[in-house]
Amino acid sequence: MNSDRIRGDRAENLEQSIAAYELALQVYTREAFPEDWARTQNNLGIAYRNRIRGDRAENLEQSIAAYELSLQVRTREAFPEDWAETQNNLGIAHNHRIQGDRAENLEQSIAVYELALQVCTREAFPEDWAGLQNNLGNAYSDRIQGDRAENLEQSIAAYELALQVRTREAFPADWAMTQNNLGTAYSDRIRGDRAENLEQSIAAYELALQVRTREAFPADWAMTQNNLGTAYSDRIRGDRAENLEQSIAAYELALQVRTREAFPEKWAGTQNNLGSAYSGRIRGDRAENLEQSIAAYELALQVRTREAFPEQWAMTQNNLGNAYSDRIRGDRAENLEQSIAAYELALQVRTREAFPEDWAMSQGNLAAVLMQRASLTESDTDLETAIALLKAALDVAAPNSPNFINSQYRLGIALSRRYEHSQNSSDLEQALQAYKIALDAISPEHYDRKQIWQALPTTQSILGSRLVREGKWQEGLQLLLNSVRQLSTGDDPLAHANALFQTGRAHETLSDWDNARLYYRDALRLYDHLKNELGIAKSRAGLGSVLVSQGYLEKGLAELDKARESYHQLQQPDKAAEVDIIYQAAQRAMERQTTEAYV
Amino acid sequence: MTTADDIFDQSSSNIQRLGLKEIPFTESPIDLRSETLQRIFTGRQNELRQMFNLFQSRERRRILVYGRLGIGKSAFLLEVLSVLRRKRPKMLTTYISLPANLDLATTALIAVARAMPDDNWAQSQLYQMGIPTEQALKERSTKASANMVFGAELSEKDLPITKPQYPTVSLETLLERAQEKYPEGVVIAIDDLDKQNPSVVRQLMHDAQGMLKGRAWFLLTGHPMGMTGDLLTSERGLFDLQLKLEELDLPTTYQMLINYLSSARINNNCTDPKDPRCVLPFLPETAKRFCEVSLGKPRLFNRLGNTVLSTAADLQAKVITPDVLEQGLRAAALTLHQQAALTVQEERVRVLLLQRGTLSDDTITMDDLEQIGFRSFSDAYLILERLEEADLAHQLNQDAAKAFAPIPLPPSDDEFLSLGGS
Repeated sequence: MNSDRIRGDRAENLEQSIAAYELALQVYTREAFPEDWARTQNNLGIAYRNRIRGDRAENLEQSIAAYELSLQVRTREAFPEDWAETQNNLGIAHNHRIQGDRAENLEQSIAVYELALQVCTREAFPEDWAGLQNNLGNAYSDRIQGDRAENLEQSIAAYELALQVRTREAFPADWAMTQNNLGTAYSDRIRGDRAENLEQSIAAYELALQVRTREAFPADWAMTQNNLGTAYSDRIRGDRAENLEQSIAAYELALQVRTREAFPEKWAGTQNNLGSAYSGRIRGDRAENLEQSIAAYELALQVRTREAFPEQWAMTQNNLGNAYSDRIRGDRAENLEQSIAAYELALQVRTREAFPEDWAMSQGNLAAVLMQRASLTESDTDLETAIALLKAALDVAAPNSPNFINSQYRLGIALSRRYEHSQNSSDLEQALQAYKIALDAISPEHYDRKQIWQALPTTQSILGSRLVREGKWQEGLQLLLNSVRQLSTGDDPLAHANALFQTGRAHETLSDWDNARLYYRDALRLYDHLKNELGIAKSRAGLGSVLVSQGYLEKGLAELDKARESYHQLQQPDKAAEVDIIYQAAQRAMERQTTEAYV
Repeated sequence: MTTADDIFDQSSSNIQRLGLKEIPFTESPIDLRSETLQRIFTGRQNELRQMFNLFQSRERRRILVYGRLGIGKSAFLLEVLSVLRRKRPKMLTTYISLPANLDLATTALIAVARAMPDDNWAQSQLYQMGIPTEQALKERSTKASANMVFGAELSEKDLPITKPQYPTVSLETLLERAQEKYPEGVVIAIDDLDKQNPSVVRQLMHDAQGMLKGRAWFLLTGHPMGMTGDLLTSERGLFDLQLKLEELDLPTTYQMLINYLSSARINNNCTDPKDPRCVLPFLPETAKRFCEVSLGKPRLFNRLGNTVLSTAADLQAKVITPDVLEQGLRAAALTLHQQAALTVQEERVRVLLLQRGTLSDDTITMDDLEQIGFRSFSDAYLILERLEEADLAHQLNQDAAKAFAPIPLPPSDDEFLSLGGS
């Protein structure tokens, strides 16, 4: 049949199929050949669903209309098997439908499959039953209503039921299809260990590829290659850089079949994925990779128009926003504006009601770029907006999903930034809380874990020092010492130096001079190594004041003198004056000592 | 053919050739009998005086004895207890080394219960915690009564002890019972607080404040850094006396050597420093040199003494000439290094210390720190303390700095190897 042809222009082939079915319907009238008429309506529905030309939303409406006509003849009573087949197709169409409420369409789709499964029992029609289970799995994996984690479990369960009948020996192509779908569900799965789920996903795709070879099933092969690329780009185990190369390689294989002419929609999808792999790529020149990424997204958007594929269009806009927010070339402020604009476009489609998970993701991304803009422009408004966006995103994000973890981590960052202005310790406590939640939820093997792992001690040290000053020294010192220990092995020496300084200051507050001196000296040495002038000045001021307190006046005066000088150079006269007060007092003490010695 | 018995005899005769019954040095004072300790314990008059002044009052006191590792805290504590046992027969004195993972109240409870073998309730407390009681009883009955509490040391620190549910209350009850029999009070000496992680100790002390202010005398030993640092300043008034033990001066160390040797010498028990025979088998010059390298640190003194005498015996020497002493110290350097079983990182710190001569928080450079894989001296400090514990380094009394230097022993042959590149 034309609609399955691969060679030749696929779009053109589909037009021919539709023309042929329409012609046939003029011959096989409903009155004369009801069964043939119904079959042709069914096939017409399939052709419209796959149609490339014309308005996609409209095509899907046509498809649904054709199936519904077909079902007027293919009733459950008269032709149960045909009825089930068309119900199945109707379910698929509802699953892809653009018009109408997306969540509602998916509910329709699930309802239709479940209806069909009442007739197509496993005993009576094992093959159809398995096909319906497969499609039900698809619908559950896209479902919006209900608990997402639970929906994905339902989806996996349905695929696994399907595979009981669709064995590799009996139905190799169907088996491979469901393996492919199972791979997708595992890669989205929320429950269980994420690292392990992704391994399962990769394994399923690789099984599918044993049957879906390029020669035998080029289109299916390309689809699974595409999916494999996605799984590799999310993969947690193994070398991250290498995984991303694998991912890019898989996408490029997929694009050999998924050409723009033959499969424009699929081509655009894989371009989108390729863009995403390039934007995360570790090997190669980062600036160049990001340009590649933007170029791929822009190609994808040529097909993924807002009108034809609103959902996909929004996804690529979201990704484009990511790439612009990371972009190295071009003007930074301008890139951030581009990024914000792209997220805002994405959010026009990704509404909280229709696509809660995607909405939460884009909200989180928008918040992150607003935070970047806030540090560029020191805008409080952007930071406040970011915090509000993140909190809203967290209301929706499925607990422990990657979105959820990202948003918690970002919220931690945003709140600790706000603390810098507000000096309100509850911001810090909330930030710490957010980091802890993120850290608990993220797979211990995840490559992003390190970032969060480092944010935690940094915040701990600030909060710890705050608590010590507030008199909760026991708790505060514990936080500080923990943070110093954690940061001492990390690759953020500045954060380490800050934590050492805070620990010195906490000991000073507690009049534990020996320890204060030890930590101030450590901080000083590290700041000096990092050429951090402000750090040097404040560590010297601390060290000088401790030495004076211990009675080592001469050494103390020397440090205080240098601190005062540094503050002057940093144009911080207030700080210099503070140091000067201690300096003067110490000098008077020294003069007294000298006089007493002469007496 | 030489039999094992022959070797044993030869070994004894090698020691006897030096004029000694046995090697008197031991690094753990807990192994000493009270009367031996009394003979060899030297110096610390000021500290003893301060301590005993407190005992002239009926008021219960809390005393912290602190000082660096190997400075003689345990020996000091044991000496105090042994004096108290002679002078205050109606006072119960108990001693325990702080076991890992145990709170102070439970630790004190165990110490007191083990010192009350005739008290059934006390024994049932121990029994419930899975601590063998019968054996402890036998041990006590075979030992001299003055030595009784020494059996109370928990030699296996990692015994899985089931803590009593309310240790503080159990301890209170036990102390009430004890006071009926010992109207002059109960002294609980808890040793080795410094062998635990400082933050653990900090928490332990914090949690035990109520108990410490309760109805017993407490003698605790600790460490100047970590445990005391912030604790002393924040918990002011927790201790009535904080007694710092410092290194012994050279004349006192010399006297200590005399006391040790005379406790084991076969022919004479001369203890007059002016008489050169008092340091035999050392010569006065080698005795002096030995005391200098011991740095006034009792544990190092004992460790070195042990190896020096063994080496001299192996050499079948009669007296310790400068040459014999050098060989002994060289062997000691090797032994200390081997016994320390350092990790790679600790070894790196040790090599750096040998290269630099001293390492201090004031003068160490970032390059030095990077060479040992650190970014802060506070991290290196922990390892330097570990080296200090193994007598591979000692802390210098420097103003306004934490400074360490290697123990000034002649380099052993392997020392040259490990320093080959420097």
